[in-house]
Amino acid sequence: MIPASEKIRVAVLGCGQIADAHLSQIQRIKSAEVVAVCDMHLDLAWQAARRFQVPRFETGFTRMVEEARPDVVHLTTPAQTHAPLAIELLQAGCHVFVEKPFTLDARAARDVLAVAAANGKLVCVGHDQLYDPAWLTCKKWVLQGLIGEVRHIESILGYPIDGKFGAQVSGNPQHWVRRLPGGLFQNTISHPLYRITDLMNDVQPEIMGGWRTRPGMNFPTEMSISLQGRNQSGSLTFSTFLPPQRMTRVYGTTGMIDIDFDTQTLRLNPLTKLPGAFAKLEAPWRQVRNSLWNLGNNFWRFGRSDIHYFAGMKHLFQAFYDSIQHGGSPPIAPDEIERVTYLMDRIFDHCRKQELQTCRTEDTESIQFPGPKAEVSACL
Amino acid sequence: MSVIAFVTGGTGFLGRRLLQTLLDRDIHVRCLARSQNSIDAALSELTPEQQRRLQFVRGDLADADTLEDHLQGVDVVYHLAAALNGSCSTMFLNTVVPSRGLMQAAARAEVGRFVHISSLGVYGTASLRRWGTLDETTPVDPQPEQRDPYTFSKIRQESIAWELREQLGLPLVVVRPGVIYGPGRSLLTSRVGLSLGPLLLRMGGGQRLPYTYVENCAEAICLAGLTPGMEGEIVNVVDDDLPTGCRILRMLRKNGKTVRSLWIPRAAISPLSALYARYSRWSEGQLPPVLSWHKSEAMWKPLRYSNRKAKHSLKWRPAISTEEGLNRTIAGLPGNFVS
Repeated sequence: MIPASEKIRVAVLGCGQIADAHLSQIQRIKSAEVVAVCDMHLDLAWQAARRFQVPRFETGFTRMVEEARPDVVHLTTPAQTHAPLAIELLQAGCHVFVEKPFTLDARAARDVLAVAAANGKLVCVGHDQLYDPAWLTCKKWVLQGLIGEVRHIESILGYPIDGKFGAQVSGNPQHWVRRLPGGLFQNTISHPLYRITDLMNDVQPEIMGGWRTRPGMNFPTEMSISLQGRNQSGSLTFSTFLPPQRMTRVYGTTGMIDIDFDTQTLRLNPLTKLPGAFAKLEAPWRQVRNSLWNLGNNFWRFGRSDIHYFAGMKHLFQAFYDSIQHGGSPPIAPDEIERVTYLMDRIFDHCRKQELQTCRTEDTESIQFPGPKAEVSACL
Repeated sequence: MSVIAFVTGGTGFLGRRLLQTLLDRDIHVRCLARSQNSIDAALSELTPEQQRRLQFVRGDLADADTLEDHLQGVDVVYHLAAALNGSCSTMFLNTVVPSRGLMQAAARAEVGRFVHISSLGVYGTASLRRWGTLDETTPVDPQPEQRDPYTFSKIRQESIAWELREQLGLPLVVVRPGVIYGPGRSLLTSRVGLSLGPLLLRMGGGQRLPYTYVENCAEAICLAGLTPGMEGEIVNVVDDDLPTGCRILRMLRKNGKTVRSLWIPRAAISPLSALYARYSRWSEGQLPPVLSWHKSEAMWKPLRYSNRKAKHSLKWRPAISTEEGLNRTIAGLPGNFVS
């Protein structure tokens, strides 16, 4: 454990786009200091060090660990390197924060978690939206029973393919995201997925749905997945046709909550108890109250300079550092990391099988082969 | 023997004009391009005779291994390729990192000359008084990280070029063009003001803008590769009779274009920028740190821009006048609303 009077020494390995978010949020934490940044490209490491006033930049992580002696290393490299690098860092005596996706598959995730346990070190994954102020409010309302028991969670991610991030992936066939087993989705669906699993009791629900490729692209770009549990369900939509947006809707037995992460607004709609036409008046009245609450809440937060796109990241880092410093359990439990990684494996396997069956069906359509087609429609 | 030129970024806005300029001079051009679509677009602007002297090589600037093969026997490299937008790390990854590889490969391939296209934005203006003259002797900004991502990456890219000239003997010529404009590009760049939704925050308006018309700029770059004795030199490229923001807005409106703008007086720009930066710091980035005293001075300080060296050393003359260039650009603008 690190004494509470000392600052946690943090290093960031990988100085690409997401590292900027990590560095800016770590700098907001009083109990932490960034002691080094590292990237295989000297110029990337240099620019990060200059912009965030980091005293040391390196191109080799072994040297960085030896010289800078960080307590925690944030791993913001391409996902293909997460498992091997995390294992080396854990064995070198560092706690590790891994950007999502945690690893390429659940087997690698188990390996990393086992090494962490064997070395007495903590690992956390970048499921930062679980610590977003809007999500925390939603969770509070759910726990207060304002919508009864949660029955369905709907999660949407809009990711325009010609946007800031999408264009880089679609424009470069060699981009590391394109080479992931789950392609574009492996790097993106963690967020909408863990927003579902966070409220879903079933560890591994049944999976339906699939992915498809939009015209003009040569890799799958759209995904629609349904998760069916014992008495809960979830639906995940990833669309490159939508503008950038992160929305979740939680349906309960007595009401519903809408969360818009981008505007930091929530809408609580309990089921109306008024009869007939009165209900039609109550619903818009509730919307007015919701709007006023959101306006007041966001004004209050703006005044306290508490509106940040990566606010969840800061709170998650803080919680992780606290667990290192005070000896608690990490904010994202190892079981949850493994659960989400395995669920992603299953989703990609399912989509690949669906794709294969759809291709076969299309190929054999002319000869009226009913077997696979019936199976596909049943699955869909 | 005909000159062989190797061009990166040859399918971009400036690159396509440079290809035409080079091909008009009977130079054989090898052009690196990533996608077939961009190649087709560039070819469509060339005559069959020009196409005969042009060879496209499909490849990626980041693929340093194949670059050296493409650079064999090349007399002049024109390095134009650069990311124009994105985050700072993306700019570095897409501009600085591959540039280092290209420059190393060029030095190994012993090319005759390496023309690096930098930017007039790399200068620091702290040492200049208001209405002072910015020329090639003005120092580069010593605090590049405080500038916008594009300028930061261009400063680093150029410093690597000078470093490799020292280490590997890269036969370097650096061209620092001002803001390049022409049909297909907006005239309302950040030098005129900042966009705030549909509104343009017009910064001052009376200061000269360091603009260069795309064909004039392409001509200067071409000459920088061909004029003897230029190794180790820096050349700024801006046109004569530089426009002001007011003049551009007047011309746009005269041609029936609507621009919604809010004027920020020159005297208020730097204090307001400093205030904004202070709030941005205090709020830990609730408003992004896009403005500061340093940035606003570099961008909107009233200065004079000299093109004397380009005229003297390269014997360059801007063939298209600013009036003509602005008119051509405005004529190419779609619709009536400009934002």
